[in-house]
Amino acid sequence: MIAFAATHRTVLNRLMMNRILTTAAVFYCLIAANTSLAQSLTGREIMERTDDNQRSISDSSFNRMQLSTCRFGIKDVKITCAERPRVKALESVGKNYGPNRRDTKSVTIVLEPAAERGIGMLSYSYDESGRDNETWLYLSALGRVKRIASGNSEDDSEPASVFGSEFTTEDTETGKLEEYEITLLEETIESGRDVWKIEMVPNKERARKTRYSKVIQYIDKERFVSLRTEMYDQYAKEIKRLMASRVELVNGAWTARSLTMMNLVTNRLSNMAFLEIHTGIEIDDNFLTQRTLEDVAFRETELEKLRNQLQ
Amino acid sequence: MRKHVAHAIGAAALWVSYSPLLFAQDEPLVLDDDVIFDGDLGFGIPSDAIPTDFDASFDDVFDNPFDVANESEQPIPAWLEGFTVKLSQQVLFQTKTHLAGVTLANGQRINMPHLADIETNRMGANIRYQYAFAPGWLLQASAQARLFLYDDYEFEANNQSFETEYRLNEFFFQRSFGSHSVKLGNQTVVWGEVDGNSVLDVINITEFRDFSIIDIEDARLNQPMLVWDYFGDLFGERSQVSTFVTLYPEYNPPIVRGSPFYFEPPNALVDYKRGKSLDFEGGIKWSRSFSGSDVSLMAARLIENQLRYSAPPNPTDDALSTNNTYTLFGVSANRAFGKLLLNLDLAYSAGIVVSSFNIPGFAGSNTTDLRHDQLGVSFGLEYAIDNEQNIALSVQGQKMVDDNESSQFALNDDVSGVWLMRYSNSLMNSDLALAISMQGDIDAEYTILQASADRTLNDHWAAGINLIVLEGVETTPIALFEGDIRVGFSITYTF
Repeated sequence: MIAFAATHRTVLNRLMMNRILTTAAVFYCLIAANTSLAQSLTGREIMERTDDNQRSISDSSFNRMQLSTCRFGIKDVKITCAERPRVKALESVGKNYGPNRRDTKSVTIVLEPAAERGIGMLSYSYDESGRDNETWLYLSALGRVKRIASGNSEDDSEPASVFGSEFTTEDTETGKLEEYEITLLEETIESGRDVWKIEMVPNKERARKTRYSKVIQYIDKERFVSLRTEMYDQYAKEIKRLMASRVELVNGAWTARSLTMMNLVTNRLSNMAFLEIHTGIEIDDNFLTQRTLEDVAFRETELEKLRNQLQ
Repeated sequence: MRKHVAHAIGAAALWVSYSPLLFAQDEPLVLDDDVIFDGDLGFGIPSDAIPTDFDASFDDVFDNPFDVANESEQPIPAWLEGFTVKLSQQVLFQTKTHLAGVTLANGQRINMPHLADIETNRMGANIRYQYAFAPGWLLQASAQARLFLYDDYEFEANNQSFETEYRLNEFFFQRSFGSHSVKLGNQTVVWGEVDGNSVLDVINITEFRDFSIIDIEDARLNQPMLVWDYFGDLFGERSQVSTFVTLYPEYNPPIVRGSPFYFEPPNALVDYKRGKSLDFEGGIKWSRSFSGSDVSLMAARLIENQLRYSAPPNPTDDALSTNNTYTLFGVSANRAFGKLLLNLDLAYSAGIVVSSFNIPGFAGSNTTDLRHDQLGVSFGLEYAIDNEQNIALSVQGQKMVDDNESSQFALNDDVSGVWLMRYSNSLMNSDLALAISMQGDIDAEYTILQASADRTLNDHWAAGINLIVLEGVETTPIALFEGDIRVGFSITYTF
């Protein structure tokens, strides 16, 4: 029974440190543009353009995802998983609210593995500066919905891991470009594609909140997809690298459906595969409330309605 | 007393202080430009060598999640998908041979030799089932089976033969429609915000059978109830009203024979003999969420979970058991400040019997039937130290608030209560979870320390080890176990 409790507390702790996966992750990876841009765009303009597209893609969305994590090693100059990956299957629903629809409410449910099946997390993310994001989760061991304190991107410097993976909320964050000095370094080639290489250096205020001293983005010039992102620590050492693949046209926008985050300090990597991305879904506002976490009959009924919309 | 305070503070300080050193950041791996990912098309490959169909990269490593062919050709029927089964093997050792003892109020000293030995050795199966069999309908159930093996105290108590135990935990039907939800059957109702140490978490009964169960989350038992929840905005935006009623109140089960908590009573402790009068419990809770905070108000008519036993007229008969009805009024609230969460529970219990059981598994030996009103407070904080580490602290205090001059045996004329601390550190993407928890009374007379390490090996297998150390002064019931050191191992398979 101790192990049982510990297992659930592990899940709890894991989730207590985690914030919402749904839209933030989608925001980050679904960097796309629907028009071609002139060569004269600045780095900031490129990133602003992508931000606008990100929000449009994530609104009223229903996604199915697979989150895989493993320790990696280098063998014959190849990076491979050194162990069998741990895999989680997730379903998430998100919707934008508020002024300019920049606030997001979302629910994420764990489908697999069996030990974590049914764990649900509800998150309200607010665009307003200084307003804390809110997260609740339901664990059967606790028998109730629990508010989670994990900080937010505005006030706290420690990023939160997404479902125990190498993705953190900071990695998946969007917007707040005014907090960075953005420089277009060069035009180059990445993964066989023409890209802009853009450097993002946090300003003084942002520097207090982030563990990265700078971020280098490689943005596909045609598709506006970030193909590679390098994160550097305060000693200018690269500590994480994000690689995007499976760039596809989904619902009119170019989208990276597979993201791999490599932690170069712990030698562990996580892959987030967006198996299904559906946008423009009609979502009942009541679904994005605490009721969905504890009222399973209600949740399953509403999820079935959403699934029916996909057909 | 100071010794236990010092132990608790010292252990916590050491753990927190050295964790950053133990898990300090290593030098980051520097990836050479010629490094590629699994022979596929990853980063670092010279650009002129990369085909245009780069989208295949990484997928193979993760069993190619996009490959439709990977999906099962014969889907599992919906009614079968709801099963989650966990098989486990657990062993708990008391590792220290020594003499423990307790001094009674009359000065009598009772010594008990403790031998290093296996305390629990059991296999278990936990089955959970959840099936939404029609729109708005749900069946949820859970059950457990135990097989007590060699040297388990239940094996020993059963004349050294294998003993089995089966229990149906949850079993309820749920119907949700509109803003309403109704659940009927065996279930739990949890009130209060302070995890594991709330004065409001008194609805369901508990069973602390041995030292493998020292957290209330594991000890809570389901009870037959009718629960109605209303999720509309009739009582305020983002509000909820929850009610419960049970016509068949249950009571904390007696300690099983052979358990380390078991003592031979002069008269057998048997189940409560129900009379013709209607016993029932019921309550209502209103809760509402505000930005950064949740607030709840509640009231209930309850029957104390612990029965009172008294000597029968005929010394050879079973002990007489009586119950006690009381009224509970409660308030709970939380407030999040970034990574800090504060929790507060207040409980006013009108008409409870004087006696409190702050030590799991023990019943007081000199209780009184005098009824008092009691004010209880639980305060807790949770703090996410960083991405991997979390700490929770809570303290619970109770005090009688009415003066009853006839009370000559008032045990709780002062503030009594317990404190609890939990610290956790998750590593390897949470595949390795380290945790330490300590609890004790606010008079610092006893301390229970538990440290655990749980390793998730893969999606099915997990293993854990834990250490339990007990320290208590001679006049507390925990003194019967003072100096005990327990080490436990468990392995589980979940599918």
